[in-house]
Amino acid sequence: MSDIVGKKSGLVWATHLSVLALVIIWLIPTVGLFVSSFRDRDQISETGWWRSFLPVEQGLRGRASVDDVIVQGDTFVLTGSLFDDEEVLASVGEERPPITAFGNAGRNPGQFVAGEVADLGDGESLLVNPDGTYEYRLAEDPGNRGPRIYFFASTPPVFSFANYRTVLTADNMDRAFINTLTVTIPTTIIPILMAAFAAYALAWMDFRGRGFMIACIVGLLVVPLQLALVPALQMHNAVGIGQSFLGIWLAHTAFGLPLAVYLLRNYMIGLPRDIIESAKVDGATDFEVFLKIVLPLSFPALASFAIFQFLWTWNDLLVAKVFLPSAEEAKVMTVKIADDLLGSRGGDWGILATAAFVSIGVPLLVFFSLQRYLVRGLLAGSVK
Amino acid sequence: MHKPATFVSATALLIALGGQAAFAQDLIHPIGEGDFNWDNYEAFAAAHDFTGETINVTGATTGDDANRYRNLYAYFTAATGANVEYSGSESFEQDIVIASQAGGLPDVALFPQPGLAKDLAANGTLVPVAEPEFMIENYAAGSSWRDLGTFPGEDGESNVFGLFFGTDLKSLVWYSPEQFDEGGYDIPQTQEELMALSQQIVEDGGTPWCIGLGSGAATGWPATDWVEDMMLRTASLEVYDQWVAHEIPFNDERVVAAIEAYGSYALVPEFTPAGPEVVATTDFRDSPDGLFSFPPECYMHRQASFIPIFFPEGVVAGEDYDFFYFPPFEANADLGRPLLGSGGLASQTNNNPVTDAFMAFLGTPFAHEIMMSQGQFLSPHNDANLDIYTSDTQRQLGEILVNATSFRFDGSDLMPGEIGTNAFWTGMVDYTTGADAQSVADAIEARWQSIQ
Amino acid sequence: MDPITQGLVTIAVGVGGCLAYFYVSNLLLDKVIFPARGAHISRNINRANLVRPWLFLLPVVVLLTLYLAYPVVGSFVRSLYNRSGDEFIGFDNYTSLIGSGEFRVAFLNNALWALVVPALSTFLGLIIAQLTDRLKWGNIAKSIIFMPMAISFVGASLIWKFVYAPDPDIGLINAIRGTFGLEAVDVLQIPFWNNLFLMVLLIWVQTGFAMVILSAALRGVPEETIEAAIIDGANPFQVFFKIQVPQITATILVVWTTITIGTLKIFDIVYAMTGGNFGTQILPSYMMQFMFRDDGRATAVAVLIMLIVSPVVYSNVRQARKELS
Repeated sequence: MSDIVGKKSGLVWATHLSVLALVIIWLIPTVGLFVSSFRDRDQISETGWWRSFLPVEQGLRGRASVDDVIVQGDTFVLTGSLFDDEEVLASVGEERPPITAFGNAGRNPGQFVAGEVADLGDGESLLVNPDGTYEYRLAEDPGNRGPRIYFFASTPPVFSFANYRTVLTADNMDRAFINTLTVTIPTTIIPILMAAFAAYALAWMDFRGRGFMIACIVGLLVVPLQLALVPALQMHNAVGIGQSFLGIWLAHTAFGLPLAVYLLRNYMIGLPRDIIESAKVDGATDFEVFLKIVLPLSFPALASFAIFQFLWTWNDLLVAKVFLPSAEEAKVMTVKIADDLLGSRGGDWGILATAAFVSIGVPLLVFFSLQRYLVRGLLAGSVK
Repeated sequence: MHKPATFVSATALLIALGGQAAFAQDLIHPIGEGDFNWDNYEAFAAAHDFTGETINVTGATTGDDANRYRNLYAYFTAATGANVEYSGSESFEQDIVIASQAGGLPDVALFPQPGLAKDLAANGTLVPVAEPEFMIENYAAGSSWRDLGTFPGEDGESNVFGLFFGTDLKSLVWYSPEQFDEGGYDIPQTQEELMALSQQIVEDGGTPWCIGLGSGAATGWPATDWVEDMMLRTASLEVYDQWVAHEIPFNDERVVAAIEAYGSYALVPEFTPAGPEVVATTDFRDSPDGLFSFPPECYMHRQASFIPIFFPEGVVAGEDYDFFYFPPFEANADLGRPLLGSGGLASQTNNNPVTDAFMAFLGTPFAHEIMMSQGQFLSPHNDANLDIYTSDTQRQLGEILVNATSFRFDGSDLMPGEIGTNAFWTGMVDYTTGADAQSVADAIEARWQSIQ
Repeated sequence: MDPITQGLVTIAVGVGGCLAYFYVSNLLLDKVIFPARGAHISRNINRANLVRPWLFLLPVVVLLTLYLAYPVVGSFVRSLYNRSGDEFIGFDNYTSLIGSGEFRVAFLNNALWALVVPALSTFLGLIIAQLTDRLKWGNIAKSIIFMPMAISFVGASLIWKFVYAPDPDIGLINAIRGTFGLEAVDVLQIPFWNNLFLMVLLIWVQTGFAMVILSAALRGVPEETIEAAIIDGANPFQVFFKIQVPQITATILVVWTTITIGTLKIFDIVYAMTGGNFGTQILPSYMMQFMFRDDGRATAVAVLIMLIVSPVVYSNVRQARKELS
């Protein structure tokens, strides 16, 4: 097969290129999120992430120092370096970015080119050099507060792991991670087990009410979860489950079942009839047919549903909030992030981006590990 | 009969240990130090002992804000021995409604605004406070506060269903003192001056205002604050109250005039950095950033007292930013200097002694001071020491609050949810992006009619 | 017990319990209740086979009834009551909804969503599944297309805000327009088209879903049929459209259905991006405006959403009938 395709190398190239194009389009927003996760809120709302790799012309301001004023006739001369100014230091830290432009008014902070003397009128002048040294000639005594100097400095891109540190080292984050796994793993496996049996019954067992059951399953796919929250929690409280891990397993399982049954039944119905019927003729019971033939053959469908159910339970906030107690030791990661890391009125874009990226890791791992079950040939081999 | 006794004493020991563990949580101000009302604390501690008990508190404050509250609760634990379990949630409003229907209510709920508490009082979820006159006696403009917390209960009888704890002032304009100095601008004392200043800034080549209505599903709310502030400055307090209570229709000409007064700033393309269309989608959290850039993208930002949380890191109160009171119209001088604000309501769901004690604790000046000492908390409590505020800006805000004579609550928080947290919001977005004030008001009125 | 062991034990108990049910109940059925031995051997086998489907279905039926079917019935009843739930008002909630302009906008938008999103997601998913199938780096490409599925909607909305933002310093689209000297626009405020821009988000997310399922289905297509076609001289396009696609139409319907239903449930995107303003309201986000506030109306919207999907349910049932006969 690959030889035949290989002959059409033009087509192969077209395939490569079109996949590449799609991948790039798909990747752009994700890359944006990834880049944003290394920036803080101020940076994110200041410049686009695609420009975060380039040096930024950052507007800064400081004051001319009045520590050693030299009086030359009528002129007061203030000299020093902007990088000695506390306010500037607070913004640039250790960096000494080259200064490109300066000004003496906030309204026009980059009026003059660095290194050239600017005539400010009234016999006053200001010179700021790219290295930050300045000479400010004033006509009046500045008193004990130096005049403002505004300037633009070309600051190098800044990335930090601060967001990751915040998210990953938050108190009890390890506990939350384990809680999330405690919720997601059973609620991925249990509905698959239940749904696989049910799907087999709906696909390969003949009984009255089968069509009706299928219709119900499809119909229940569309039920908005919000409708089910209050009745389900009421029920849990009534039977004594309350808010607990058992409760959330049941809830997630139930909410995942319609899709699981639907996907699995549709896959199973596509399995070759002759294999199943010949097995039955050979005297295998339904239980055996299911376990020994249908289940192994359905692995691609099981794996793909597992991926989606895992994803959904992993990223879920709503169900976890309602069905788990609000105590610290029962918090899952999504709740932990929403309630403890994003401040009230949640505007921490950096933390949001980081949280999205931290939470992407494990589902991708699941995807990679299950992807090898989405293989060809399971059926082909058995048909032969 | 020896065995049960051992069991009891073992339990007592465990509880004592638990209590001790709770005691061990660091108190942010060691008892007896600083200008706090320690006598008040000591008296409270002497009067209450709930060693081993636990009280559950939920609220909408999360993250660092929630930790400020936890710091306060540590004192309750230290004073009474009762453990306080606080859980804050972004989806608090939804959670508390679910809890009220399905069970699992906290002992005390901190509502970010009283609208929802009203619903929960009506269905019997909340119980009235022990001392209905408390806020009148202890809060500045106490009767306003008391009235705001008074709702009909399950039996239809009106009662006070909580204690206001934590306040935001809305009638504020934030600005950069340095940019004002440089431009030679004075703090406007009247709306007429404010409008003149806005035009002056445009003439000088600047942009006067930063406005952002974006807030996800709540997009539009900042404009409702504008309209309410305008309403208080163009119509009497009575009319404002009638408007909020729907005793006059939403499309009353006075309401339409207030909307248009907001429009006289927000709809002028030169008044905002990118014009009204962009105002509608700019996130309110990002919108004040323009005050701090050079050259300034804008000179003024009208927003509530909480907004400094969203200012860029490192800006300093009093130096990089300050605020002035959103002034009244000279033409309507008879309306005085009204103040718009909002506040959180602490309500209890039962009358357990420890719950009552917790509510009483929230009423002590000491509790208010502990919150004030951590910034971002304004208190109308008469006996709280203003020196505790962490910055002059906070103190000035606090003074405005304690000296307030006519205080009005954020109207959208008091209207039914469909209006105050929905139709009003979306209506303001429509208005900001081109719809006319009358038709927007008509639509909101129609919606209000439909839910009655 | 430390949290890790506690977690492991709970997982073991949960999964084990579930497995045990099927194993033990089948054992009971075959060995104890209707043993395939003794005098009534054939009758017993028949009876066991009559009961077994329900044995297999039982956990699903019980859970779905308690957690989904019962709330649906309850919601329908609730939708006949007023805001506070104490007064029966018949179909007033429905008539007032249908009479409201915002509902009609949401309804029409949603119809558009339900057509465009599944169509494009399925189409793109199918194309990508096929193109990457035999590429050496196909798995990497698939993982990248799949990645958006793993990002929470809140995260996705955040990053798309930085694609659509009107400020050319922050919004990618306007930055690109800026380099061509075009004026900045707020794409989320362009009437009608803003809906399509919001749909792009969901397509971006859901294509990964379509791709995974369809990729599994394509790999289930017997090699022999493809080889036979190639030997007959079919070009790759013919193989794809005439041999492979017809064999997976059932799966395509499944993917289409699932995504359609998804679009009728997802409110987060509209909620976070526009809050339903600028004529972008859709039914799920419209419903969320009422949820937990005016449950009468919220449930009425939910019931209407469920009515809207009835054609989808119908087509699936018809497909199932065809398969069964």
